[in-house]
Order: sequence, then structure tokens, then C-alpha cells
Amino acid sequence: MLDGVGLTHANGFTALNSVTLAATRGERIAVIGPSGAGKTTLLRLLGAALRPTAGAVSLLDANPWEMSAPELRQLRTRIGVVHQAPPLPPRQRVVTAVLAGRLGQWPLWKSLASLVYPLDIAGAKAALAQLDLGDRLFDRCDRISGGQLQRVGVARVLYQRPELILADEPVSALDPTLAQQAVRVLLRDAEARGATLVASLHAVDLALTEFPRIVGVRDGRIAFDLPSTQVTESLLHELYAAEGAELPTLANEPRFPAHAVDAEAPLPGARCR
Amino acid sequence: MSAAHSLPVSLRDPAARGRVTALLLACIVLWPLLVVAEFKPGALFDAQNLKVTGNFLAAFLPPETGHEFLGYLGRATLETLAIATAGIALAMLLAVPLALLSTRVLNVADIGPGPGQGRAALLHHALRALLTVLRGVPELVWALVFVRVFGLGPAAGVLALGLTYGGMLAKVYAEILESGDTRPARGILEAGGGRVQAMLYGLLPGSAQELTSYTVYRWECAVRASVVMGFVGAGGLGQLMDQAMKMLNGGEASTILLTFLALVLAADLFSGFLRRQVGNAGTHGRVAGVGAGSAAFIGLLGSAVAASFSYLDLGLAALFSRESAGLIGDFLRSFFPPDLSSGWLSKVAYGTVETLAISAVGTLLAVVGGFALALPASGRYGSIALQGARFVLNALRSVPELVWATLTALSVGLGPFAGVLALALHTSGVLGRLFAEALQNAPPPPRDALLDAGARPAAAFLYGTLPEVTPQLIAYTLYRWEMNIRMAAILGFVGAGGLGQLLYFELSLFHYAQASTVIAAMLALSIAVDAASAAIRRRML
Repeated sequence: MLDGVGLTHANGFTALNSVTLAATRGERIAVIGPSGAGKTTLLRLLGAALRPTAGAVSLLDANPWEMSAPELRQLRTRIGVVHQAPPLPPRQRVVTAVLAGRLGQWPLWKSLASLVYPLDIAGAKAALAQLDLGDRLFDRCDRISGGQLQRVGVARVLYQRPELILADEPVSALDPTLAQQAVRVLLRDAEARGATLVASLHAVDLALTEFPRIVGVRDGRIAFDLPSTQVTESLLHELYAAEGAELPTLANEPRFPAHAVDAEAPLPGARCR
Repeated sequence: MSAAHSLPVSLRDPAARGRVTALLLACIVLWPLLVVAEFKPGALFDAQNLKVTGNFLAAFLPPETGHEFLGYLGRATLETLAIATAGIALAMLLAVPLALLSTRVLNVADIGPGPGQGRAALLHHALRALLTVLRGVPELVWALVFVRVFGLGPAAGVLALGLTYGGMLAKVYAEILESGDTRPARGILEAGGGRVQAMLYGLLPGSAQELTSYTVYRWECAVRASVVMGFVGAGGLGQLMDQAMKMLNGGEASTILLTFLALVLAADLFSGFLRRQVGNAGTHGRVAGVGAGSAAFIGLLGSAVAASFSYLDLGLAALFSRESAGLIGDFLRSFFPPDLSSGWLSKVAYGTVETLAISAVGTLLAVVGGFALALPASGRYGSIALQGARFVLNALRSVPELVWATLTALSVGLGPFAGVLALALHTSGVLGRLFAEALQNAPPPPRDALLDAGARPAAAFLYGTLPEVTPQLIAYTLYRWEMNIRMAAILGFVGAGGLGQLLYFELSLFHYAQASTVIAAMLALSIAVDAASAAIRRRML
């Protein structure tokens, strides 16, 4: 999907350097690596949210940067992103936030009508129920906890039913049990629909036990790309050399408080550093 | 969340019933408001009205540039600025002692409580009541009344500004003093210091910047107000505009409007500059006492005030002669007792309802118009649309409501609908600018995430941006509505309905007893709005 792709920011910082990564339909890949390695940038390139400064991107058999605007929009409706800090307006209700997953597929009149009365309450509830959040349907996003908000972000993508699911640290605000559960929900959904799933994860053990293929990223380059059975302890220690002797796992990983994005959220550019 | 499993959630939106009720209620309230405000958009397109307006607007081009007229214009502009400056100086003269006396934090008797507490509380409440009356009566009403005493000219304008703004400044000064850290002042009082000493050493250091900043902001408002007061004969640009409108001289009117635009924008910029200066002041503590720069600045301010008074040649000394004092006393006595006959009271009550309706419908229209202009002004449709929309917004808000009312009265005839349109036009400019800022400051991630998932820009705006800014938009709208209620009360001076029209009419017939009832109604309305908005703000915080 990515062929020799590089991304250099306007300020001269190179976030990714000639990265090549191919995935077949239905594959499930975990991206791991230390903070600042370029995991988020990689996912944003895969989501057609960033344009590479070098190399070629091909998503779902198409080059997004050679398309007309309507075609690109059509392509984007087939890609779903779970964000680390769910970009949900604090005053929006959970049901509306989940239904917003299909805005790209809905005609404008339906988007408008759904603001007056939610048009697919059952659908939103089914997506939330998979994450044990069915009872939060009509709560406002600023009235639920950070962990719940992060799972609402997951539910939105489940409701969107994209062919390519990109998850950027989707469980960073969840405790180990819930984190594992949420990741399994994503995997099961991808498997059931034959969708491709690429998830960046901070917890190495979660990645190794749940995903068949692991991509290690360090300093904007791909350090290794192996089936999870072939990832050795020494490879991992080398990958995380900058972060000390201990590998980040579910048990010891630092919890990022996920909360509704506010004005202080880092700019997309700043986050890649 | 484990307890949640037992709670079944219905598949029906629990908020739906509330929404439907709110919608129905809004329709039920809005309908009579539209009727009272004589909302007839058709009047805009009435052939006769279109012709009059068209002819008048056609005469706008070219703007009048005759030498003689420009001379008048220059003098009127100077006069407007001088009225504002002298008015603010007078207001401060009034406000400083009133604020000192009425603020609670400087009250020695509260310590303990000590001796004289009852007397102090009485003084406090009496002063607060006086301040409410001073600022509750719009400056235009004071001006109208003073014109009867001092005759046409700037003296009435300066005094009117002094009284209304004095009341406002005193109230806000007292609030600023009370909102800061009051312990230093308390310490000085407890150590036997006096009111003024506690103020200078305990409160001023913490609040000087805010006090100055607010005063400068008020000066900016005074410039706009003094433009308007000319319409009741209190000198300055307004008087010139009034004459041009009465003679349907489009060329002169357009030159005056352009001058308004320039003056208001310049006052905006200058006041912003002054406030930044105040913000930076005192950050390099190298000089003991007042530095050379500050001294020069204070000197400049002082001479500006002195120049304003001498330019206007107010003859205020006459105020203090026994003869004129007697005249004023007689004049004031003629307002009492107010006419409280039931027939007149019901007329005033209807005028009050009409005023409320004008303000509500005008503000609603402005929300629609302001929002429509805020979309391009926030940069959604490229930079050309942005510049264009900004220019329209600036033009709309730099023309005061009362001036708009003279224009709209021409195009839809006299009556409340002219007032509705005037409020809507000016307020669209104000709200549009505030809305655009809110939209620009809305955090982008929610919208961007939706765009990245293939949502249309319109849908991404509705689901990602609008929910972020709605509370802010509502707060701005309520705040403007509050101001518009006061404004609607005086728009009638140029024939745009409401209480103002009643007052203007009765005053021109020298029916002072009736006029005094209307003034009392305006005062009551203003106090009610004050209390309501304070209550709403308390609930929102």
C-alpha cells in the first residue's frame, strides 16, 4: 500500500523516511514502536489525511492523490479512523457522535434530519453494545469518562463499517481488561467483514497476542515487519532501546487520559514530532 | 458501567419530547411578537416605498464633497469627539466618588461590625439606587430632556453622557474593586486607614489596569453615542445627519455615513491601542514615581479633555447661577406627578410590549443574518469571500441603530417594523463578527476527523464544528438582546415605534406628566432586564 513513502514537514522535520508497507485485504497488522517513531504519521498517510512528500500511496487499489475531490471523498468514506483522543464535540450526544460515522454515506438531507431526531438509534446502540456502552446512548460526550469516550470513538468506526480500519492507540485510556476487549471487538469486526485493520499500539504484549503481523517502527523507518510468532525479545529491546530496559506492556504502560478534544489539543503537525 | 447492564435503554430519543415542546412554545411566543412588531417584509417591496428608497439611495452617489459642506462636516466630527471626551471626563468625575462611597469593600463599619453600620448600609443602598436611575435612563432621553433646558447644542449631549455613563462607570468600577483581592484594603482599614487611603494603597494596584481599560472602552462607546445624540439636537455629526435626512439629501447623507464608518473604526483601533498600552504599562519598574513617558501621556490626556471643554464652549457656569437653577427646578417639577390614569398607563404598557417585541424580532433576524455572514467571514469560502463579508459586517455595525432607523423608516414607513429592521441590520454586523470569531476558534479535530471519513463539508460543519460553538453563540445572542431591549426603547425617537415614540411625541407637545410616566417605564424595563440577565448569567456559570 505504501511504496517508498516519505514525509518531511514544512519545518524540515522528517517524520517518515522511505517506508514501504503492503497489506492484503483482510489482513490485521499491529504497528509498534517508541513514542515519536512515526506511528501516527504512518496511520495518517494510510488514512489519506496527509499527503506524502515522497513516494506513492495506494489505498484500496487507488491512488488518493490523483483523484478528483468527489472521488477522494468516496474513497474516504471507505476508511475509518479510531483516534487516540476521540475528536468528539463535548456537548454532542453519544448517539449523534456514533451516527456521524456514516455522514460520508448519508445524503445531506439525512444528516440534517438526524440532528433533529437521530435516524438510526438501533444501529448506534448495536455498535455501542459491543463495547458495553449501550446504556450511554443518550448521554452527552462531556458527561462520560475518558475511557468511555475512547470506546465511543471505536463504536463510531464500527458503525461506519469501513473496508480499511485504522486505529491510532485506540485503547490508551482503558484498563488492561477493557483494552483487550476493545481490541478484540475491532479484530472480530474486521474479520467478519473482511476488512483490513491497521492498529498502532503502545502495549507490546497486546499486539503480540492479538495480531498475526507486527510492524516495528523506529525513527521514521520500518525496523522489522514480521509475523508475530517470529518477533523475538531482542528485536523488541532493540526497538525500544531509547525507552529503557522495560518493554511497554498493558500492565505498565502509562495511561493517557483520553478526553474530548479541546482547543489545547496538539496540532496534527505537532503530534508527529 | 457494570451496573449499566441492568438498565434497559429504550430505542426512543428521550430528548425528542422536550424538543417538540420547545419548538411549539417558541412558535406560540413568536407569533404575537411578530404581530406586535408589525412584521411585514412585504412593505420592503411596496412599489411606493421602493421608489422613495431608490431615489434616495441613487442620490447617495456621488457623495457630497463641496467645500462648505466638508467644513461643516469637519467641525461636526470634532464636536462629536469633543462631546465624547468631555462627557467621559464628566462621567469619571461623577463615578469615582460614587464608586468609592458605594463599594462594600471600603466600608469601615463592616469591620466588627463597628459603629454606624446601619447608616453605612443605608448609604450603600441609596447610592446603588441612584446609580440604577442614572444608568437606567438612556443617554438619549437625558439628552432630549436637557435640550429643553439648555437649548440645542452640545451642552445637552455632554451632560447626558456624563449622567448615564457616570452611573455605568460607578457601578462597574465598584464591581471591579470588589472582584479583586480585597484583603490588602481590609488590612489598611483595620490598621486605621481611611477610605481613600485603603483605595489607593490596597485596591488600586490590583485593579488599575482593568479600571483604565474599561474607561477606554466606554470612551469608544461614547463616541458612538454622541453621534446618535445629535438626532435630538445635541450637536455633532448626528445633528448634521438629521438635517440631511430631513431634506432627503442623499449626497450629504452618504458623506456623513462614510465619516461615521471611518470615525467608528478609528475609535475602535485607538481604543485597542490604548488598552494594549495600559496592559504593558509598568512592566519595567526603573523609575520611582511617574516616568517621563507616563507623565507626557497623562499631560496629553489632560489637555485633550481641556481642549474638548473649551472647543464646545458649554457655558456650564450658567448651570450654577441662581436664575437657571430656578428654571431647572421648575422644569423638573413639571414632570411630577406622573400621569397614572389607566388610559395612559395601558398605552405605556402597550409601548413596553412593543419595545420588547421589536428587540426580540430584531435580534432573531440579526442571528440569522449574522450567522449567514459569519460563515464566509470565518474563511470557509476563501479569502475573497472573507474580505467581502468582513467589510459588510464592519459597515453594518459602524452605522448606529438610530441612523439605520432613519433609513429603514424611509423604506418601510414609520412604525415598529422600521425599528426591527434597524436593530437587525446593526446587530447582524455585531453578531456576525462575534460568530465568525467563535467559528474560527472552534477546535478543528472533530470537523477534520469527519472530513477524513468522507463527510461533506456541510455535514462535517453541522456535526463537528457547530456543537462546539453553540453555547458561545447563544451567550452572545442573549447579551446582544439585552442591549437591544434598551436600544429599542429609544429607536422611537426617529419614529420607529415602542416607548421612544411615545416619549418623543409627548415631549414635543410639552406633556411632561405623560413623558415622566414613559421615562419611569423605561427605567423599570431597564432594571428588569438587568435583573433577568444577572439571574440568567448566574445560572449559566
